[in-house]
Amino acid sequence: MNASRIEQLQESTARPAGFSLGEFIRRRPESITFVLLVAICVAVAIANPAFLQPSTLIDIGRASVVMGLFALGVFIILAAGGIDVSFTAIAAFTMYSLTVLVLNHFPGMPLLVILLVATAGGALLGIVNGLLVHHLKVPSLIVTIGTQYLFRGFLLSFIGTVWIMSLPPQMGAFGRLPLLQFESANGAVVTLPVYFLILPAAAVVTWWILNRTLMGRAIFAVGGNADVASRLGYNLRTVHLFLFGYAGALAGLAGIIHVCANRQANPFDLVGTEINVIAAVVLGGARITGGTGTVLGTMLGVLLIVVINSVLVMVGIPSTWQRLVVGSFILLAAAFFVTRQRKK
Amino acid sequence: MSQPAKGEPHPARFLELRNIQKWFGGVHALRGIDLTLDLGQAYHLLGENGCGKSTVIKIVSGAIAPSGGEIVLDGETFTSLTPIQSLAAGIETVYQDLSLIPNLTVAENVALSEQLVAGQGALARLFDRGRLRETAERALATVGLPTDRAFLSTIVSDLPLAARQLVAIARAIATRAKLVIMDEPTTSLTRREVDNLVRVVERLRSENVAVLFVTHKLDECYRIGGNVIVFRDGQCVAQGPIERYGKKELSELMTGRPIDSERYRTARPGDGELFRVEGLAAPGFEPLTFSLREGEILGITGLADSGRNELAMAITGIAPATAGRIVVAGREAVIRRPADAISRGIGYVPEDRLAEGLFLDKSILENEIALVVTRLTNAFGVIDRQKARATAARLAEEMRLNTKDIDLPVGALSGGNQQRVLIGRWLSIGPKLLVLHGPTVGVDVGSKDTIYRAIQALAEAGMGLIVVSDDLPELLQNCDRILVMNNGRVVAEFDAEQADEDRLYRAMLSSTSTMESAQ
Repeated sequence: MNASRIEQLQESTARPAGFSLGEFIRRRPESITFVLLVAICVAVAIANPAFLQPSTLIDIGRASVVMGLFALGVFIILAAGGIDVSFTAIAAFTMYSLTVLVLNHFPGMPLLVILLVATAGGALLGIVNGLLVHHLKVPSLIVTIGTQYLFRGFLLSFIGTVWIMSLPPQMGAFGRLPLLQFESANGAVVTLPVYFLILPAAAVVTWWILNRTLMGRAIFAVGGNADVASRLGYNLRTVHLFLFGYAGALAGLAGIIHVCANRQANPFDLVGTEINVIAAVVLGGARITGGTGTVLGTMLGVLLIVVINSVLVMVGIPSTWQRLVVGSFILLAAAFFVTRQRKK
Repeated sequence: MSQPAKGEPHPARFLELRNIQKWFGGVHALRGIDLTLDLGQAYHLLGENGCGKSTVIKIVSGAIAPSGGEIVLDGETFTSLTPIQSLAAGIETVYQDLSLIPNLTVAENVALSEQLVAGQGALARLFDRGRLRETAERALATVGLPTDRAFLSTIVSDLPLAARQLVAIARAIATRAKLVIMDEPTTSLTRREVDNLVRVVERLRSENVAVLFVTHKLDECYRIGGNVIVFRDGQCVAQGPIERYGKKELSELMTGRPIDSERYRTARPGDGELFRVEGLAAPGFEPLTFSLREGEILGITGLADSGRNELAMAITGIAPATAGRIVVAGREAVIRRPADAISRGIGYVPEDRLAEGLFLDKSILENEIALVVTRLTNAFGVIDRQKARATAARLAEEMRLNTKDIDLPVGALSGGNQQRVLIGRWLSIGPKLLVLHGPTVGVDVGSKDTIYRAIQALAEAGMGLIVVSDDLPELLQNCDRILVMNNGRVVAEFDAEQADEDRLYRAMLSSTSTMESAQ
């Protein structure tokens, strides 16, 4: 009796024997992202072999840092079934206020402290989001639309609208500090800055939190079904505060890196790029309804968007086409995932 | 401590509720519940929907706080519990909705709670993956599920419902529970799986665990044995060993009115043939032929994998047949999609009415008229509100809904009333044949009674009915004939008046057992 039960269940559930491509893609949707990424790189490399030069790859790496940090924050919130559109405002607020603060009051502040303050400031603003989402019981989309306006409005009204061109020296130096440096064929000096390392480090930490701690499992549990998770003893308030605080911290860090890398602080920067980041996360296989996705997928999604944004020009496609391409990819990927889901 | 002197503490007493009150807004849901549960005992909590059963369970498991009274848990007195307190004390609950996290794996669903509770709910901790796997394997083996890696890492939403129910039970027994509460644990289990559950319960009791069932199925209560607790209108109206109560007596205690447990079917079917299938086949069942007369009620039963669900879906166009003919009232009907079936006058009330049949956040009105909107429009193609209201009100009346307010969202109704809304919707198109799939799954005794009466009234009006169900007493009480399916074939046909549960059950299992011995 027992033996036949088990057979019957295995038959109707997992089919361990026999490898099915469809099943693999359904379980690991980021494989599609990977295939798309490779296909684009191959196509671009054939059309313009200059793509394979180290300088291009380093450009892509440099351009992914800020977006990648944002994307990790968006992903962790998406995994818990929420959404955040305020992270760019958090980044803009932290980076500009902190630059002004350092410039006018603490010119000697060490860089490490600046980074820590940016992270802590972002976390604080994120926790405001978390408190509002948890206690108002309003969907996080609405809350974060509100706080996006709030944070940005506060920044522009009370802190300043002046474009700061000369940064505190330690920040400028950090933006230039090389990890790798060499001279390319055409004589230009190519630099991979040290701050690039922050992205893989943040990705590893995020992966570790999600997959090795109870908090990580709690985040996915809340994304699967928040009511059930709370019934099983997961503290929703802790989860919400952590989530939004963590995403805020990443945004604060991304903001200050953005300033250091561009060697200027423009309070009008960043806000408006949310959709690009959310698109990257969704292209990485995370479902907008929450509870799914991987850190690896998110990173692949970011690379895909950055590659599209930076290399189309190299093969002679006007930059205005970028949106068209990204849009089609999102629709294609979504349609693909959905049909996979239905076949199940 | 500050308590007045109590008598000797009962050695096996685990949980005691004293004068528990609960108000929801102006509704007095629990009116002073007194209840004691001892270790190693089985209890059956009976009562109609809305009598307060679920509320008591939520209070005991810490999901909600009572408005008054006290909870004595293992000798300690509380005014309310948190989920973690309740879990830490050894109270595990298998909720009716199973409360599984759909996007986590089987192993995580079964065994993560153990580690959460061990840390008093703290989340800033690593989890022990080796222990997770060990605990999950042990619990899954107990309920008879596979324990291989592939199954442990299956995402729960990929499992069929019956397996999910067993996973939920596995979670409840994964830790050293002292009280396991099961809220309607058998609704989606076939009889074979229920047998397995009965063994699990016996084992739990032998390990001195208390088990509290919340159920509608009186037959299962007698099979498992133990004590009954009967609720009515937020009060406990009876508590004691089940042998002291007759089945009819329990039904009457629950509803507060006499219930007729005899055969509902008294009328005879007409002579004319209404419906026939010839050599009908689809994935899941082999070519089969049967017919139905006007006003006849045909029962179809079998295990979950017997092909009975596929047959119902082929007749109603949800998963069309791949071969054979369907003849409705003498004319051949080609049914490739549900709309074809509807236009031929075949209605389908699905088993999972919440997911497949009802718009829960829409009103009774909108649910009732969903099939006939085009008939209710005026010259401009706009829905005639008055006509729609009149139609919906008539259907609500015919189905004896317990509310006159047809603007109420369907989600606010009890399971029995929801089912009646769904049947009422089909009446709006005046079907010739109605296929009912598990018409009383998750429905209380009182609602069952009204649903059965409605079924009989439909048959008397000349409609043919096919009832696909696991609930053997239901089929015996309501049908003219019963077909038993097994492995995609009809293996037996019974005259319902002459059949009994044992014979039906044997037919359901017959060729499966020969298959097993052949393996």
